Amino acid sequence: MPEFSKQLERLEAIVRRLESEDLDLDEALKLFEEGVERLRAAREQLTQAELNVKKVLEIESPS
Amino acid sequence: MGPSLDLFAAASAEGAWTVSEVTKRAKSVVEAGLPPLWVRGEITGFKAWRSGHWYFSLRDQTAQVRCVMFAKQNFRLPTPTDGMQVFVFARPSMYEEKGEFQLTVMELLSTDQGGLWKLAFEKAKAALTKDGLLDPARKRRLPQFPNRIAVVTSPDGAVLRDIQAVVARRWPVAELIVVPAQVQGAKAEASICSALNRIKRLPVDVLVVARGGGSVEDLWAFNTERVARAVAAMPMPVISAIGHETDVTLCDLVADLRAPTPSAAAEAATPDRAEVLQQCGVFGQRLSRALRIAARHVIERLDRTGDRLTRGMDQRLEKSRALLTAHSARLDALSPLRVLARGYAVARDTDGQVVKRVAQLPSGKEFRLRVTDGEVDARVQ
Repeated sequence: MPEFSKQLERLEAIVRRLESEDLDLDEALKLFEEGVERLRAAREQLTQAELNVKKVLEIESPS
Repeated sequence: MGPSLDLFAAASAEGAWTVSEVTKRAKSVVEAGLPPLWVRGEITGFKAWRSGHWYFSLRDQTAQVRCVMFAKQNFRLPTPTDGMQVFVFARPSMYEEKGEFQLTVMELLSTDQGGLWKLAFEKAKAALTKDGLLDPARKRRLPQFPNRIAVVTSPDGAVLRDIQAVVARRWPVAELIVVPAQVQGAKAEASICSALNRIKRLPVDVLVVARGGGSVEDLWAFNTERVARAVAAMPMPVISAIGHETDVTLCDLVADLRAPTPSAAAEAATPDRAEVLQQCGVFGQRLSRALRIAARHVIERLDRTGDRLTRGMDQRLEKSRALLTAHSARLDALSPLRVLARGYAVARDTDGQVVKRVAQLPSGKEFRLRVTDGEVDARVQ
């Protein structure tokens, strides 16, 4: 699972690119599809996640 | 046996020091030989002057020393009383007008109100300040969407439960890495430092150091210079929530953010997923809107191309039409019908063959004659 922040960063980049550039339809569609997929993955991460708690046992380090 | 001192021989008007000279000299000797230092003792003969300056003595069982604390140094402090045990940070000097050795007090701490703790705190704080570790410019921004959140706290107890509950509710996307440490007692300092050291090597986006409320002694480990330096050296942003809101520890001061409670620290470490979901919704809207706009651009471009195509076709069609008119006029002029109209006639035999020669027309032969307005049957005589 990619890091959520990276997912959202890419999504933002896609939206900006789609909004700002005169793309041909093919490329626009490709970007759109990627955006929709990332959005779906992000939503899934947000709604289905259960907190994963890990305990790291302290190892007495010689100090 | 040295030679005996002849007091009268040494006496001379020129050789004697004046009082001013000797006190001035004593003052410079004292000031050069004794740098500012901490002194502890009991306050006696305390007197606050109208000017705001404080005059008192500090004493122990066998000695006492005059002290002055000027208004600009003491204006924040509660007024001390005689018999109070205090620490003072003071510059030893001479009060020349009275020829008295005296301490010019710059800081005064009562041991009754955790003064000893405060003294240690102030010392550590001064050292951290000197190294720039309390500089607000050092404060880092917290990550917006942390992937891994580490917590250093007591392994069992309300603090960890609170933090876990908040992170589970707001941002379960992250992984919570709990590194237990002893947060009070003699081993706390070393235990906290070793927990911090472990986290240093982990890919963690933000660290929460937390401890519930307690006495000054209970919280002490978080006021040590060693823990504060360890916190300052963490490679990731640190949120500190030690004790109650009113307790400010060195750990709080060096951290990138100080939270009033462990729950508040957990909230500061995490975004609210409901808000992020909303943000995702906005992204979705922007995405489809942007696609619509992109599609419209393409359609407009196609339209423009189509228009040019039609215009080109129209022009060619027009040209062809003109050509056609010209050609048909010429054709018209050459038409045999026009020749007939001028009075000529065409003779054709019964097979429809045009008769061009006399030999084709023997006597009695039937043929047809075409004139401008029709045909007639005819016979050769």
